[in-house]
Amino acid sequence: MKLTREEVNDIALESRLLLTEKELDGAVKYINNFLDILDSFRELDLTNVEPFSFAEAIECPLREDKVIAFKDTEAILHESEHVDGSYFKVPRIMEE
Amino acid sequence: MELYELDLYDASNGIKEKKFSPAELFESCRKRIDSCEDNIHAFITRTDDKAPVIENPEGILAGVPTVLKDNLCTKGIRTTAASKILGNWKPPYDASAWKYLREAGAVLMGKVNMDEFAMGNTCGNSAFGPTHNPNDISRVPGGSSGGSAAAVSAGYVPFALGSDTGGSIRQPASYCGVYGMKPTYGMVSRYGLISYGSSLDQIGPFARTIRDLQLVMSVIARYDPMDSSCFREKHYDFSHSEDVSIKGKRIALVKEFQNFTLDTPIAEAMKKTKKILEDNGAVITEVSLPIVSKYAVACYYALAMSEAHTNLERYDGVRLGYTVKDAAGIKEMFERVRSYGFGSEVKSRIIAGTCLTEPSRCEEYYVAATKVRTLIAQEFKRAFGECDFILQPVTPSLPHKIGEENEDAMKGYETDLYTLPVNLAGLPGLSFFTGYDDASKLPVGLQLIGPRWSDPDILNTGVILERHLGSPKIANGGVK
Repeated sequence: MKLTREEVNDIALESRLLLTEKELDGAVKYINNFLDILDSFRELDLTNVEPFSFAEAIECPLREDKVIAFKDTEAILHESEHVDGSYFKVPRIMEE
Repeated sequence: MELYELDLYDASNGIKEKKFSPAELFESCRKRIDSCEDNIHAFITRTDDKAPVIENPEGILAGVPTVLKDNLCTKGIRTTAASKILGNWKPPYDASAWKYLREAGAVLMGKVNMDEFAMGNTCGNSAFGPTHNPNDISRVPGGSSGGSAAAVSAGYVPFALGSDTGGSIRQPASYCGVYGMKPTYGMVSRYGLISYGSSLDQIGPFARTIRDLQLVMSVIARYDPMDSSCFREKHYDFSHSEDVSIKGKRIALVKEFQNFTLDTPIAEAMKKTKKILEDNGAVITEVSLPIVSKYAVACYYALAMSEAHTNLERYDGVRLGYTVKDAAGIKEMFERVRSYGFGSEVKSRIIAGTCLTEPSRCEEYYVAATKVRTLIAQEFKRAFGECDFILQPVTPSLPHKIGEENEDAMKGYETDLYTLPVNLAGLPGLSFFTGYDDASKLPVGLQLIGPRWSDPDILNTGVILERHLGSPKIANGGVK
């Protein structure tokens, strides 16, 4: 299945990426080549195959779900340029 | 002999026996870096301007310098993942693997170069420019952990940490002529590793001897409650012994790989290594991996890109890194930050990952890839019922010149066929040095892989291989 320039650009926008014309050319070629390769999966019968997981209950059990406070909040906030008190501040969210 | 030439074991013992001080070792490494760094460009951030602070003077690594790939978080020290988008970010916490090294007494010389967000296999896809191979500075060091491999190869430090999502430790280790270990998924905590493909990423060491890899693994392979995929209640013995045997071990070659073309030095190294293994009592066999050889590359990239697209959603300019202050709305802010901050390879992979996981395509591509991964893991499991280890190349060719990257990205990815199936199945893999090519003088590496949790056994086999093949020399780093 080949994707058009418009479709690739729409996907880029969904990912919050604005592409230059050159980047868009590259992305169209990249994705279409890649989808061609993925079409090879059709050669396999995957009907009764489960999706992969590291389901090794004995080896990797889930840890106890326990809250551990991270004490150095100041260090986290220090790294942002959009801070108001102990909150992150973001620009307007609602669009016209 | 200069102190920087010492391997980790001898450097650590020399300090304990008071043959030299940690400050003398640090200074020797610093001078070595100063003499080569203009040629190699391994560092993103150097931290060797101050005298070393040793957290644990009694620790097993007390006073030994190291470097970290710049996707491992270091508290208060800039961590970039070789991307503009992280700006001048200083993490508020340490990656667990670095914390363990620090607590064992290791000291940090700096953070080293990589392909942006670990996406690439040349170390040229970095916002900070390319790193050069210390064995021939006109060539790539491999990637994505190219800075770590180059630093160990050039004698900057006796050991380093990198990360391996599809070969990013093993391939640069091979290209630079050092040893590199990709541990079993779950063996080393990933806490504080900047995520690329979380189900594939694994942290591991580089060193110039197998004994040194064992020493580092003995420090970093431990349960960490901060990583829920980390093993627990198991102890793995990474202690070094020369008294190891591979008598009766079944070491397999992959049937399907034998039709693929290899550069002559790599094909010769395969023959030489096979004979050494046989001479030491191993039985050489053959296993068949038809699904791995045909579908692993597509499967890997489908999953890696899908995971990357979700992992990289968090970079939006709000909490850390590069940002803009005059955006009219949040959408504009996200778009401007991400469009400027990510490089083109990363953007392409994010777009591909978004495409594969969209509801209309998810079943056909992403879910299909997770099922193919199951078949790949099952195929390896069957193979390891018939053999103890698999011997195979790391790459089909020796490192190419900088700037000669394959224009068709998919062709470039195919060279990863020997490394990335190991990550799909969560297996351990050792990239080991076999010698230098007579014509090009470049190092030639091969790879030994084993079933999950066989990391200590693989390294013990590595001890025998190193004894017969020899250890690598420190590369000249472009210094005449």
